[in-house]
Amino acid sequence: MQRRRRRLLWALAAASGVLMLAGLAAGGDGWSWAGFTQLLQGPDAGLIVGQIRAPRTLGAWLTGALLGLAGAVAQGLFRNPLADPFLLGSASGASLAVVAVLAAGTLGAQGLGPPAAGMLSRVGLVAAAFAGALGGVLLTLMLARGAQHTLRLLLAGVVVGVVLTAVSDLLTLAAPEALRGRQVFMLGSTGFLGWDSCLMLGSGLVLALPMAQRLSRTLDALVLGEDSARSLGLALPQLRLALICLLAAATGLAVSQAGLVAFVGLAAPHLVRRYAPGPHGYTLLASAAAGAVLLLAADVAARTLIAPQELPVGVLTAVFGGTYLLLLLNRQSPS
Amino acid sequence: MTQATAPSARALWRLLLVACLLAPAWVGAAPPQRIVSLVPGLTESLCALGACARLVGTDRYSNWPSEVQALPKLGGLDDAQVERIAALRPDLVLAAPSARAVQRLEALGLRVIVLHTRSHQDVRHNLLRLGAELGDEARAQQVWRQIEAQMAEAAARVPAALRGRSVYFEVESSPYAAGPTSFIGETLVQLGLNNIVPAALGPFPKLSPEFVVRAQPELVIAEARNLQDMAQRPGWAALRALQRQRLCSFPTERYEVLVRPGPRMGLAALQLADCLAAIGKDQGMDAR
Amino acid sequence: MTAALRAQDLSVALGGTPVLHGVSVDLPPGWTAIIGPNGAGKSTLLRALAGLLPRQGGQVWLQGRPLDDWSVRERAQRIAWLAQQGQAQGDLTVRELVHLGRLPHLGLFGTPGPQDEHRVDAAMQATECADWQHRRLQQLSGGERQRCLLARVLAVGAPVLLLDEPTTHLDPPHQVAVVRLLQGLARQGTVASVLHDLPLALQADQVLLMRAGRVVACAAHDDPQLHAAICEVFEHAVRIQRVGGRYIALPHLD
Repeated sequence: MQRRRRRLLWALAAASGVLMLAGLAAGGDGWSWAGFTQLLQGPDAGLIVGQIRAPRTLGAWLTGALLGLAGAVAQGLFRNPLADPFLLGSASGASLAVVAVLAAGTLGAQGLGPPAAGMLSRVGLVAAAFAGALGGVLLTLMLARGAQHTLRLLLAGVVVGVVLTAVSDLLTLAAPEALRGRQVFMLGSTGFLGWDSCLMLGSGLVLALPMAQRLSRTLDALVLGEDSARSLGLALPQLRLALICLLAAATGLAVSQAGLVAFVGLAAPHLVRRYAPGPHGYTLLASAAAGAVLLLAADVAARTLIAPQELPVGVLTAVFGGTYLLLLLNRQSPS
Repeated sequence: MTQATAPSARALWRLLLVACLLAPAWVGAAPPQRIVSLVPGLTESLCALGACARLVGTDRYSNWPSEVQALPKLGGLDDAQVERIAALRPDLVLAAPSARAVQRLEALGLRVIVLHTRSHQDVRHNLLRLGAELGDEARAQQVWRQIEAQMAEAAARVPAALRGRSVYFEVESSPYAAGPTSFIGETLVQLGLNNIVPAALGPFPKLSPEFVVRAQPELVIAEARNLQDMAQRPGWAALRALQRQRLCSFPTERYEVLVRPGPRMGLAALQLADCLAAIGKDQGMDAR
Repeated sequence: MTAALRAQDLSVALGGTPVLHGVSVDLPPGWTAIIGPNGAGKSTLLRALAGLLPRQGGQVWLQGRPLDDWSVRERAQRIAWLAQQGQAQGDLTVRELVHLGRLPHLGLFGTPGPQDEHRVDAAMQATECADWQHRRLQQLSGGERQRCLLARVLAVGAPVLLLDEPTTHLDPPHQVAVVRLLQGLARQGTVASVLHDLPLALQADQVLLMRAGRVVACAAHDDPQLHAAICEVFEHAVRIQRVGGRYIALPHLD
């Protein structure tokens, strides 16, 4: 068992290395090793490889790691293998915030008032998405009156998701120019990740991973059921709140930089459980690594499949992740 | 040169030298030579100002004039391909507000100008701004004057009997209409028509079909494919404008000219005016 | 001998409906079996004694101090509770599951030491699940899983054990093994178990009979008045007889 777990981590590390090299070589002209070596020798190397491809590749890896971690936390917290990081209203909150910023101009003319609209349009899309994600989760927590009951949390999350999506739809009715931007956000995009994004994502990951490790035993104890976990001396409401904050922060950070990338948070923990199941102390770390590899692979594919055009990365993660889950479903024994 | 003119010649050279040294200060940086435009209206404005040759890339929606179609297409505003834009080494990028690409491109050291393109005023402002950037304000003024002349001409071509009539301009079949505060709405106002959509509803409100039917617009303007089955919509057969064929139907290419805020707005107004003139002639213009 | 766990006038309501009405219970050192018809409030009583349910009235004392005076972690080190419907799915191995019993002592951050491993080993030995300690929970049968959950409770090493239906899913050999185990544990601490199995319950030191949220009788297992009360509470569907040195309950079919 230990050997399998170690092997999986090594495999993910190797895959990361290979894909990062691929990410440096893949670009606007598709995949060509000759083109890459030529580029490296040319004057544009610093700009194209150093300033664009390198941070984008690293950023995709970091975003995937955050989403994988968040997905594992969500699945452990709700003891449901279908849970994903967007459960508690973070996706709809971020999407609403993005639409609000995109529609700021029209909203200003229609009752919001020019000064408020001006402020709104100056807020960056990144900051708005992050605030929106956290806001969505906060709304869910308020509706569920704290992190007391898992079922209430889930229901509140669904309600908040539906309501915020409806408000977002209303905004796009009033300001149809926000529709395209919204669609791009919902499909996810790694195209705008620079070194500053990497710094934010990296710091977030560096803070989130140890915190997740410390809380991992809570997730293990939850396997026994909530009452048993409480009887083991765990202050469940507070620990659950801490896990939800971790979930919200990791998801919010990932979503603000790369949009609503589907399936990474859902599929990464499944991948880990399939090959090397274990206690959450291991699963959280491995899910982060698996998510990172998944999103990075999707990013490289997005850039090279129909070059010089780019596919939205969310489409590819859905294809990869969805196919993988489909295979899992087929292989599952009837027990 | 005679002896008498030598000192003045020297002075002239000195003046020229000083002027050349000071030139960067009052001209600003040299005009951009490699421009990327991510907004179709701005692409058209650049070409109207004669700078088409300086364009090295556009967004996927820029399709006029035909020289532009051969340029590399760099995605839309919201999914601009940063690497390809940077690889083109532009010294100026034109974009619209609230695009994520703006921050990223600026972080890479590219010069980005963000321009609104929503109203007639915006088009004028953009033309003058781009003219200043290119170092050719005079040309920009000339282009704008031409647009104004075209608008005036178009207003004149609208038959007197059609002035003040109510119009419904459909943008989408849901139906989305163009209100008077939208770009095309402003053109309609200039042509002397009344919009059935009140200004308070915003530039592109989604109307209830009942509203349109009850408003009984006297003129309907839409894209050809939306007009095809407009009469089949429940209750819309009652629209007198449809019954009496007081319609302006435009195929996609000409429709795009109407709704795109750019230097072809004068042309758009003329297109509309011609259609209205044709209606006036056909119908002999009876009483309302 | 002072009772390790004691309750007085305990009133608990679930979802607005009162379930326990002024229950007073003394759990002395030894093994107490709690029996009663369905819906009598047995599991609720056990939960309330473990501090897992809010009380609408009454007080619970643990080792002489009110239950609320203890911190959650101190309580967890002194009371080990086994849930009725043993939930245990997932990717943990048996050993990792039993290791969870050390949580009250390790907390979230403590590193397990040799003493913890020793406790885990002893718990698995006692419930005979050491042979497959590296198998994953998904691969276990109901009975095997029940023994692991029991081992988890034992690993806590708490002086008070509250077990809700510890013999569910177990076949007769393992039921007997559990009874022997409980008797052994009862010699060193306090064990209270809810049991549906009357013959097994009658092997305990003390039997607590409940009905409709109240205590009907609480006496030593060989008390004739207790036996009469049991027959009456179960609507004369059972008959208690002495066989050899023990009492058993038989279904009354005549």
